[in-house]
Amino acid sequence: MGRAIVITSGKGGVGKTTTTCNLGAAIAQLGMSVVLIDADIGLRNLDVVMGLENRIVYHVVDVVQGKCSAQKALIKDRRLDNLWLLPASQTDDKDAVTPADMRKLIGELKAHYDYVLIDCPAGIEQGFKNAIAGADEAVVVATPEVSSIRDADRVVGLLAAQDIPTRLIVNRISAHLVKKGDMLSQADVIEILALELLGAVPLDEHVVASTNKGMPAVLEGKSLAAREFVRIGRRLIGLEVDTARETGGGWFARIGRALGLSPASAA
Amino acid sequence: MWNLFRAKQSSREVAKGRLHLVLAHDRVGLEGGKLQEMRREIAAVISKYVPIDVEAVEVQIESKSRATELRVSSPLPARGG
Repeated sequence: MGRAIVITSGKGGVGKTTTTCNLGAAIAQLGMSVVLIDADIGLRNLDVVMGLENRIVYHVVDVVQGKCSAQKALIKDRRLDNLWLLPASQTDDKDAVTPADMRKLIGELKAHYDYVLIDCPAGIEQGFKNAIAGADEAVVVATPEVSSIRDADRVVGLLAAQDIPTRLIVNRISAHLVKKGDMLSQADVIEILALELLGAVPLDEHVVASTNKGMPAVLEGKSLAAREFVRIGRRLIGLEVDTARETGGGWFARIGRALGLSPASAA
Repeated sequence: MWNLFRAKQSSREVAKGRLHLVLAHDRVGLEGGKLQEMRREIAAVISKYVPIDVEAVEVQIESKSRATELRVSSPLPARGG
């Protein structure tokens, strides 16, 4: 039986889809079978971030409406044999799917695949409710900004109300700006949201270039962000992670850990 | 650490302060108007027992981690002889 993990954030544009794409690729590279579901019905994007937009025949609404089986709608990744995408519909309304539909679909997928990652739409309305319905756990993505953390906090409360265990990814952190005192540190974000940290992904222009090409950054070499996504992928599936290089961010992060500012040293 | 010796707060400190305030209110779900209404009612109750300046009563919502608390403060007059 596989495990379903929803990637969510509340606020849009903080990197949910990029995170889903990269964690999916990272976990698939570790030998697990992985299905990515785009739960953003009406505004699909995971297909283009994955570079699979030209291969779509069926989508999640077709599956839910019984027009085809889930297996038939899955698109196999071009680069990894054990990674699949279930795209969203671009034309339907969010109401075309219900939480009960999602629970059933994810239950079926979990019977055949090790991991099901659900890319949640922004907001806390119907699309969010659908996306979290079948999830065993949640990953909240937040950037170190007031608006993102505020929305993340709201989502954390909603997930807690559904008893869904939740962990945190801080995205687009700049060690340089944190050092200058012009960005919230990962320790600040952890303290405010009171969540366990899976990892902090550095602000990295390689991710922009990878996204332009429709290529997961983790399959494109050793950029700082790619390496952090790989570490997060390992931690997500319960593998040991090299703690010495855990959070990146150079000497500042190391001093932070030495002072007990991150859960890595508290654990 | 250096911030202690710096007169001006860093933008990071400002962001933290703003977040603590915003989240405290978000988590309780009390909008500004409701909070003021509650402040007036609490002040009225206190003034039934002690003569106070009802305008000096303050209510604050504070949030640390996921625990939120309400603080009410009111100067109380010394008992006149």
